[in-house]
Amino acid sequence: MPGEVWVYAECRDGRLMDVSIELLGGGRRLADKAKASLASIILTDNVGSLANELISYGADKVYVVEHPLLKTYQSDLYTDALSEAVSKYNPEILLIGATSIGMDLAPRVAARLKTGLSAHVVGLDIDEHGILKQVVPGFGGGVMAVVTCPKARPQMATVRPGVLPKPEKTDRRGEIIAVDVKISEDRIKAKTLKIIEEKPLGKPLEEAEIVVGVGLGGCKPDTFNLIKELAETLGAAIGGTRPAVDEGYITENQMIGQSGKTVRPKIHIALGASGAMQYMVGVMDSKTIVAVNKDPNAPIFKMCDIGIVGDLNDVLPILIEEIKQLRKT
Amino acid sequence: MPFDFTFTPEQEMLRKAAMEFAERDAAPKVEWMDETGETPTELVKKMMELGFGAIVIPREYGGAGLGHIARIAVLEEISRISPALGFCLQIVHLGQAPVIYFGSEEQKKKWLPGMAKGELIATCAVTEPTGGSDVLGIQTTAKREGEHYVLNGRKCFITNVHISNMHGVLAKTGEGPKGLSFFMIEPNTPGVKPGRRENKSGLRGLNTGELILENVRVPRENMIGGEGDGLRVALTAISNIGRPGVNGVALGIVRRCLEEAAKYSKQRALYGKPISELQAIQWYLAEMYVDYETTRLLTYYAAWLRDKGARCDAENAASKYYSVEAAVRCAHKLIQIFGAYGVMKEIIPQRLLRDAEVLCSAAGTQEIMKLVMFRKALEYSK
Amino acid sequence: MNIIVCIKQVPDPREFSKITIDPVRKTIVREGIQAVINPLDRHALEEALRIREKYGGKVTVVSMGPPQALEACKEALAFGADEAVLLCDKLLAGSDTLATAYALSKAIRRLKPYNLILCGNETVDGSTGQVPPQLAEFLELPHVTRVRRIELVDDGKAIVESVLEHGCRVVEVKLPAVLAVVKEINTPRILSVFGIVAAASKKIIQWSVSDIEADIGMIGLEGSPTRVTDVFTPEIKRRCEIFKGPVEDAVKQAVRRLREIGAF
Repeated sequence: MPGEVWVYAECRDGRLMDVSIELLGGGRRLADKAKASLASIILTDNVGSLANELISYGADKVYVVEHPLLKTYQSDLYTDALSEAVSKYNPEILLIGATSIGMDLAPRVAARLKTGLSAHVVGLDIDEHGILKQVVPGFGGGVMAVVTCPKARPQMATVRPGVLPKPEKTDRRGEIIAVDVKISEDRIKAKTLKIIEEKPLGKPLEEAEIVVGVGLGGCKPDTFNLIKELAETLGAAIGGTRPAVDEGYITENQMIGQSGKTVRPKIHIALGASGAMQYMVGVMDSKTIVAVNKDPNAPIFKMCDIGIVGDLNDVLPILIEEIKQLRKT
Repeated sequence: MPFDFTFTPEQEMLRKAAMEFAERDAAPKVEWMDETGETPTELVKKMMELGFGAIVIPREYGGAGLGHIARIAVLEEISRISPALGFCLQIVHLGQAPVIYFGSEEQKKKWLPGMAKGELIATCAVTEPTGGSDVLGIQTTAKREGEHYVLNGRKCFITNVHISNMHGVLAKTGEGPKGLSFFMIEPNTPGVKPGRRENKSGLRGLNTGELILENVRVPRENMIGGEGDGLRVALTAISNIGRPGVNGVALGIVRRCLEEAAKYSKQRALYGKPISELQAIQWYLAEMYVDYETTRLLTYYAAWLRDKGARCDAENAASKYYSVEAAVRCAHKLIQIFGAYGVMKEIIPQRLLRDAEVLCSAAGTQEIMKLVMFRKALEYSK
Repeated sequence: MNIIVCIKQVPDPREFSKITIDPVRKTIVREGIQAVINPLDRHALEEALRIREKYGGKVTVVSMGPPQALEACKEALAFGADEAVLLCDKLLAGSDTLATAYALSKAIRRLKPYNLILCGNETVDGSTGQVPPQLAEFLELPHVTRVRRIELVDDGKAIVESVLEHGCRVVEVKLPAVLAVVKEINTPRILSVFGIVAAASKKIIQWSVSDIEADIGMIGLEGSPTRVTDVFTPEIKRRCEIFKGPVEDAVKQAVRRLREIGAF
């Protein structure tokens, strides 16, 4: 394939977003399969060591657009810069992370370039003709579609964080290319004034995106404190089983199951719950179920996606730490 | 009889509005209503703001004039979540009926616009301790004094009595069937006293109580129709609005029973599989399904006849009889499907049975319905 | 304030479990499934109605869809919109987001002058969220996505809050602009009986491709750079991937796996 595979490197506060690094991992695989180069493009006020970091994650080339006005995301300027760079160098493929900013930028760029774009891609492959096969969810995830962009170029896709594998850092070399594009302040019509950080708000059980379920195994003071910490770290709502209500650790309102609430979060983490039917009927519609239990024969391990066998007091501190690490990116 | 069973876009929109109101605003209050028996007046206000009180009032008097099928759709959706609130709304409509059907032009202009907005809410006070089914047994009197009638008496089991500001009262102006007259008592009339509040086993949160009338002076112009027309006014209102209203509420209950039964039987597992795979449960579900379809057909058919302006007392009685029997049947079966959980107060099945049971004597007892149906049945002898 | 609200009629999300796929034509079977106004579009319409209530003006609803979408337009009028425009033409079938944005832009250009264009941030069926920014590009207007708050400074400027992963971005945007709203922005009103009655006397305008003078090469299948080559239902079996052994390893592997499957 003559053209390059480009990955948009999103950075905030001078740090690369995790998804952009993941895109390099996935992009590498695609580029190798298509016998093409993998490049990254970054828009920033000060590239610093970021270009080298991108190279160490697999980019053969890094295109850098540096300008003080690019310090924070400005949709007008970023669209101008990215579109102009693409028009100059004509990559075959352009992958952008489906972050809130990526989803604001990518469609406009695609419209500027009059090319095709698919959204929230959960699977990527490339065929022998260099056509990118993009698997996207629809109807709330109940239906999957395979999308291609046969003629228009570049083939664009926004990729969901966590879908592509994060590559290892290596000692590689690559090319850094400074790109000269037109950036002018009077193009700004939607001006980002400031970014406000906010802690995730608590949501009612039925609306929460992440629900932590407390079973009998979690009903000890120290263990429950760990559970609360986990929930807080995740911004999760807390629910639980009937025994947890009886033991006084959660209220009747927080009870999940046949005689309680039905939840359908993106993730349900059942801690110390055996997996009794009366409870499971309340969580069956969760997208992903994670279970932690010290009994390897607990029925819940047959009804979950990811299970961890272990004592909650051992598992939770490590789990909390891992998630905090993830959150940093 | 060729039928087109599609709802119009207006009817569909109305159904959506009622469903959203029920699920968003009414649902959070349902448990509280059942526990305390208190009436959620802010929900009544919201229903009036959304215009649910204006559905059957003709357009030229400030109403929506959307008809009886639309009315049933709204009652069904609200009652699916709260039969008590659905019944409250249906009686708001009942209070309007005497004016709509028998009111003079001045009376309609005077009261219907306010009723459409929900600013005026009237009861339809007929029943007394001495007669409900035996309506001629009522003892409330209306004595003519110049340009007024003076009303004295005591009505019981009147729905919405404490949340209404007007009262439609059936009273004796003479003896026998031609001795009854119907009066509309306006807001703030002295001598009108809502009395005790009843504590019902079902439809809790529906306001039911006593209406005491002590020397209430009502101007002649507030009589609906003429002296002696009262029985016709009251029975027409009850037959045309009251009974179909019960259908709408019963239909909501039947549908809810079917939904809860279907959901639960798919989730509950016994003997290693969902109980929906056990024949006993399958038959319950099948019976509930046919009850739902039949109730639905009879209810909307009666409403359709009404919308066409056709005489349909027999159909109103038949549908009320059937829909309430179906609601009780289905609620009872729902309890069996839930097993012991079915009679636990935190879960819905027992409440649906209690609600359905109260409908039996609403807008006339089931036995009175049979009287009406019998008369129609006998016509087939010709 | 003249406000345009873009709405789309979609299958009712409550009935998504009933959706099936035609194995031969590789399309979604939508028959028998209730259609509703896309939930986020209701929030957009609600915001428009509130702005009109506060500042006066007109709310026009624009939709591109098959004839059935007339119901959605009628519903929007019942909510309180002043006028509805349905862009309906067989030639528009098969449009992807780019072609849709183009067609909508041609229709909206005919509705000048306007101060504000509101959309739901994404639809429940395609969920791409791509049309609002692409619409803005065709209209040569600024755009902001994921808007949870709009404060009008005057009819030429607004300050909006755009939701980020852990907070928000405050944006000063020149009007007219395209703003795509999220559900945090408001609680949409319920249809009222009076609104339903009033809708009967309001206008729904229907436009075809020639009414909006659209370039045939930019609409429908021909104007769509993307193609759907396959449609399938994913299997919903639980993975049952259990991690045992030394706790630290088990947890780390489990978390990594959760990232891989897109849960984290």
